[in-house]
Amino acid sequence: MSNGAYFSCRNINAYYGESYIVQNVSFDIAEKEIVALLGRNGAGKTSTLRTIARAHEPSLKSGEIYLDGVALHEMRTYQAAQHGVQLVPEDRRIIPGITVEENLILAQTEGKPGWPLERIYQSFPRLAERRRQEATTMSGGEQQMLAVARALARDLKLLLLDEPYEGLAPVIVHEIEAILREVKKLGITTIIVEQNALAALKLADTAIILDTGEVVFRGTAQEVLDNKELRDQYLAI
Amino acid sequence: MPVIVFAVIALTMPFWFPLVGGYAGLDTKILIWAIFAIGFDILLGFTGYLSFGHAAFFGVSAYVTGLMLLHYSANIIPAMIASVIVTTIIAVMVGFLTLRRSGIYFSILTLAFGEMFYAAALSIFSDWTGGDNGLTGLPTPELFSMPFKENNVFYLVAVLAIIGYYIARRIGNSPFGMMLRAVKSNQTRLEFTGLDVKKYKLSAFVISAIYASVAGSLMVIYEPYVATEFVHWSTSGKLVIMSVLGGVGTLFGPMIGAAFMLYFENVISAFLQEQWLLVLGLVFMFIVIFLPGGFVEGAQRLKRAIAGKAGDGNASKGASE
Repeated sequence: MSNGAYFSCRNINAYYGESYIVQNVSFDIAEKEIVALLGRNGAGKTSTLRTIARAHEPSLKSGEIYLDGVALHEMRTYQAAQHGVQLVPEDRRIIPGITVEENLILAQTEGKPGWPLERIYQSFPRLAERRRQEATTMSGGEQQMLAVARALARDLKLLLLDEPYEGLAPVIVHEIEAILREVKKLGITTIIVEQNALAALKLADTAIILDTGEVVFRGTAQEVLDNKELRDQYLAI
Repeated sequence: MPVIVFAVIALTMPFWFPLVGGYAGLDTKILIWAIFAIGFDILLGFTGYLSFGHAAFFGVSAYVTGLMLLHYSANIIPAMIASVIVTTIIAVMVGFLTLRRSGIYFSILTLAFGEMFYAAALSIFSDWTGGDNGLTGLPTPELFSMPFKENNVFYLVAVLAIIGYYIARRIGNSPFGMMLRAVKSNQTRLEFTGLDVKKYKLSAFVISAIYASVAGSLMVIYEPYVATEFVHWSTSGKLVIMSVLGGVGTLFGPMIGAAFMLYFENVISAFLQEQWLLVLGLVFMFIVIFLPGGFVEGAQRLKRAIAGKAGDGNASKGASE
């Protein structure tokens, strides 16, 4: 049963084969809250995001995940996506061989659509310019924009951002930051995983720190920024 | 435009094909295999799933057509409808089971299913299929009492090939076709986008089986006899070779591959005698190594080379002026 929180994961345990990666992780998120999921390399951040998105791997062995009262843990990947979970993974997962616009149309083929194309092009004029271009030929930053835009093209309830600044030039990072500030203004519930913890904390309301697959801290983003000891211990920043 | 070009080439075959050494009947066979190859390209070319079991759909359809002609009516319409219905049902079941795996595992599973159908045709169903001897003694097919022979069959096959090509192109350019190409590039990405890839893969599989079914049925209408070879894995293998020779994923290429292979088998073999298979093997190796996109890629490269030369010519002319 859902505990009334907008998003809640309770005692989730997930494995890559025999490797126990996500260990009894539990946390709740309120609607419109932006959470930074932090931790060192190998802390289980990306695995937790993938588990929430109901990826084939890591496989969820036990635990419950609810979004807006609906049990995600009983769903398959595409069903979770149709229910409003949108994962923007580290590699952006732009579909090769088709254009920018086709990538967006594809996202609206099944389930409830989100933003219409016109609104997406207004918010991302660079995508409008490149709508007929094969999407994978765009720069990393533009592909990241498309990945976020594709999430908005669907009925979006929970946005999962995995390392949105990874591998991008500083100028592009600023552009993506601007887009994510827009996403924040729109009030989209978001979980962001980022190596660059400071960048994630600037955006987030709340911080959750994972260590070896377990939650070791939950507080406001400001608390982490103010607590040097905590940062040294778990984030090394 | 490509459909019109194909329609003109196909419909005028009886006039120009004999000029290049072809003979009546071979043109019909080429177009039947072209239908088979277009359907196969919807699966292999669009989704990337390599089936080695399509002979099963071709063969089962041929048997159903033969049995309908023999026991129900010599009219081709009920025979063709029944064969498409039976093949579709089998394709849904086989596709449902085999598409759970991808890559080499899918290919092996389809090969195993194909061989099961072959073994069944020779054993438990041999009373119906005629076993090793094939299904013989079929009446001349008719269309509402009009006997179907030679020219009639050719034009029926040509029209169905044109329609088949037109539909395949429409599928390729539709959102459904876009989805199939996306399945080929990365299924996980589609699932994260909220799409149930299984139903798209199964649809492509069943559509390609329907093309195989129409081709199998037409083969019996063309030549009222069903050989066990129709369900043998070598028929699937021939289809794969045709597709690779012509250019996988191009729709037009596999048809060219089919024409090339049948022409080689029936016309060039007269000059090469026993060595024709060896030469075909060499051609196949050459294509795979140097032109992985098949004849279509070869034609595109040639076109670019000619355009490049023309461009250079114009540039040097411009410079000298």
